[in-house]
Amino acid sequence: MFDFLTHDMLAIIWFFLWCVIWGVYFIVDSFSLGAGLLVPFIATDKAQRMQIQSSVGPFWGGNEVWLILAAGGTFAAFPLVFSKMFTFLYLPMMLLLIGLIARGISIEYLHKDENPQIQKILMWGWFAGSLLISLVLGVAFANFFKGLEIASGGVYIGTLIGLFSPYALIGGVLFVLMSVTSGALWINVKTEGAIAAKAGDLAKKSTLIVLVLALVYLAYSFMGIEGFTTNYSAMPALYLLPVLAVVTAVLAVFFAKKDKIFPAFCSNLLAFLFVVESGLASIYPYMLKSSVSSEYGIDIFEAASSHMTLSVMLGAALVFVPIIIIYQLWAYTLFREKIKETDHVEY
Amino acid sequence: MIELLLLSRLQFAITAAFHFIFVPLTLGLALLVAVMETMYYRNKDETWRKMADFWGNIFKINFAIGLVSGITLTFQLGTNWGAYAEFMGDVFGPPLAMEALFAFFLEGTFLGAWIFLGHNRQKLKAFSMWMVALGTNISSLWIITANGFMQHPVGYEMVADGSKVVMTDFIALITNGYVWYMLIHTLLAAYLLTSFVIMGICAYHFLKGNNNEVFKKSFSIAVIIALATAVMLPVLGHGYAQYVAALQPTKGAAMDAIWETGSSVPMYLIQVPDSSTGSNSIQLLGIPGLASFLYTGSFSGTITGLNQLPQGELPPVEMIFWSFRLMTILGSLFIIVALLGLYLQKSGKLYTSKKYLKLLIWSIPLPYITITAGWIVAEVGRQPWMVYGLLKTANGVSSVPTSDVLLSISLISTFYMVLLIFEVYLIKKTVVNATGVE
Ligand code: HDD
Ligand code: HEM
Ligand code: HEM
Repeated sequence: MFDFLTHDMLAIIWFFLWCVIWGVYFIVDSFSLGAGLLVPFIATDKAQRMQIQSSVGPFWGGNEVWLILAAGGTFAAFPLVFSKMFTFLYLPMMLLLIGLIARGISIEYLHKDENPQIQKILMWGWFAGSLLISLVLGVAFANFFKGLEIASGGVYIGTLIGLFSPYALIGGVLFVLMSVTSGALWINVKTEGAIAAKAGDLAKKSTLIVLVLALVYLAYSFMGIEGFTTNYSAMPALYLLPVLAVVTAVLAVFFAKKDKIFPAFCSNLLAFLFVVESGLASIYPYMLKSSVSSEYGIDIFEAASSHMTLSVMLGAALVFVPIIIIYQLWAYTLFREKIKETDHVEY
Repeated sequence: MIELLLLSRLQFAITAAFHFIFVPLTLGLALLVAVMETMYYRNKDETWRKMADFWGNIFKINFAIGLVSGITLTFQLGTNWGAYAEFMGDVFGPPLAMEALFAFFLEGTFLGAWIFLGHNRQKLKAFSMWMVALGTNISSLWIITANGFMQHPVGYEMVADGSKVVMTDFIALITNGYVWYMLIHTLLAAYLLTSFVIMGICAYHFLKGNNNEVFKKSFSIAVIIALATAVMLPVLGHGYAQYVAALQPTKGAAMDAIWETGSSVPMYLIQVPDSSTGSNSIQLLGIPGLASFLYTGSFSGTITGLNQLPQGELPPVEMIFWSFRLMTILGSLFIIVALLGLYLQKSGKLYTSKKYLKLLIWSIPLPYITITAGWIVAEVGRQPWMVYGLLKTANGVSSVPTSDVLLSISLISTFYMVLLIFEVYLIKKTVVNATGVE
């Protein structure tokens, strides 16, 4: 299969797919994460909490699989990167894991017991899980863009504290706020009543903050991060990515102001996508860039699996990803009605 | 280094065993609930709807933890077994990614649909549950393809410097005989566990005098599945054991603690192996030639003993021996329990047989124990190899600070403990209140 493609070409295609899968994960999970980040602060009673829960309930599980696919895809296509990424970032990955578990269990169990104390704990579990996931991933990806402290021989010399540079912190906060915005807009789209209004108001402010922060982050990336512009200079068409990131972030502010919530939601998702892709475009051909010296980084050609494995996986992805997208979109159309406070869902 | 290795193994063992507390019930209930939803769609009999709702509620609670604990395992392949991931990635990566592509997306997407669809859209609801059942059951094929390779590598080539394996034949990977023995055995075990859980829960309600149609019907389905799987497991398990013993002689000899090479090897009903002396400290009631027969199909067959196998490559014999004994003894017990259940039900004495009903409730944990024992045989029996004959477990571990692993193992175990207690509490509440049956 795919014998007409050289090994290097397959590796490049897989790098591209890798960027796509991560991008898709970030945007599809952003609104369930955002809902979790918001729920303790905007839901005033159980009925409103249930509205938020039901707005993401049917979707979060299917969306999280994009993360599992990103991990599994990295394992299959670039085993060396999978190994190093998880080993170098052992503790952050464990925190991410705890976040994923807490988030999933909290959404599913939130109203399985009548005890208000338990419901409260789970609500905060949902919040804490969502915060951990978006923060850890935001910080991790900023560090990928900036480069990890990989010394000669592929030895990792970084520390946990060292991961929290100002740049990484801005990245973390940006990811969190993009998710919050996404969640607020989603709640407004999917629900009716007081909670929708509250979320809508919040989104008007947060789209603006996201725009400012995205500008700061991109400016920092291009001006303060070593090697960030190399690919951009070599291939100026790439500048489209950060430009689109800014344009869509502006559009999100604009649409939110005009109360065109669904377009605002889509613009915000696109802004998130383009911010992530702007960063990923800068690291090629490295997947794990080294901040010590570029030659110590792990590049896609070194990390790629065999021709056989890459082609089998490419075939599977080409067939199944479209099918998955179709049935996931279908699931969204199944539950298009707005959720009212009086709706009673058997969760 | 030793400590790091030990902790990493312990962490994997704990988290894998934890994942597999939830997986078997998911595999079985997904199929059964799908059948119930379909029956309700077909004949609009309220009993089927109530059954689907009640078992569906239990399914939902159980599923949530199965799902989140699976992610831990995927992550750990990188965090704790990084060297292994580099060695095996070319072969292991594809099944893992296929599992996401083929199975997890189906499962995740349609589970949401099934939960949120009302019975007024019964056709779609039933269809969604079938997709979930398909997803969960396919997922086991992919992950066991990966495990089958670790037990019996096929369709690969070692690169010249021996640093990793690359896949040369994807079809061989899936048609690996080991995979199919393991898959069928595991799925049957999952269905057996599911039927015992159902019978136990029904028994609880019968004892309370709650002879609702829902429980009666559930029981009569479960008892048949229990009997069928309980009979099939030992029959197929016997073939599986022979197959495994031929491929992994160290594990094979350890399963029955056979120390010395010989022909017409007896099997002892009472036996206590002791690896420090390389012999059995107690062996009584030997049945002549039975071990030879079970391993080779002939009463005079020859088995290679542990003392004649490479000494540096022996797994912990006692652990495997006792786990294997436990699995087979409990396996025989299940047949008796299931037969008894069928007899009592057919003769109409079931609802008044208090002792038997109590036995059923107490039997709920047994398949869980059996399954864990089975996995210990499979996984610990493979030691010291991580990928049999190719990679030693000691060479697969990530070089991370031991303190990090200590931290993660404490964090995860504590967290898991809380989750387990909470889920048992929720399931118990659902069972006691018969949620969905009213
Ligand atoms: C309710 C569950 C259950 C029952 C009644 C049995 N098993 Fe089992 N067994 C499992 C559940 C299981 C399992 C947990 O599902 C395992 C772990 C790996 C696997 O493939 O299935 C397993 C593994 C396993 C292995 C190890 C395979 C390996 O190393 O890869 C052998 C040889 C057997 N079984 C044989 C038997 C025999 C001879 C049984 C006769 C009574 C039996 N099993 C009953
Ligand atoms: C879900 C059921 C499973 C259980 C209960 C289980 C149990 C265990 C146990 C007890 C160990 C520790 C062995 C030792 O170190 O002595 C282990 C190790 C391991 N198992 Fe499994 N296992 C399961 C399924 C799988 C599957 C399906 C795979 C791979 C596809 C797998 C991969 C591994 C790996 C990578 C290790 C660590 C290395 C090693 O110790 O050999 N396991 N497992
Ligand atoms: C060590 C190996 C294993 C890994 C890495 C692993 C990985 C995973 C992951 C990531 C999930 C979550 C999927 C989702 O988000 O929907 C999951 C769930 C699941 N796994 Fe595993 N798994 C392992 C062992 C097994 C085994 C041995 C089986 C069955 C024979 C199994 C069957 C399932 C099933 C049925 C589910 C979904 C149902 C549920 O949530 O309870 N897994 N697994």
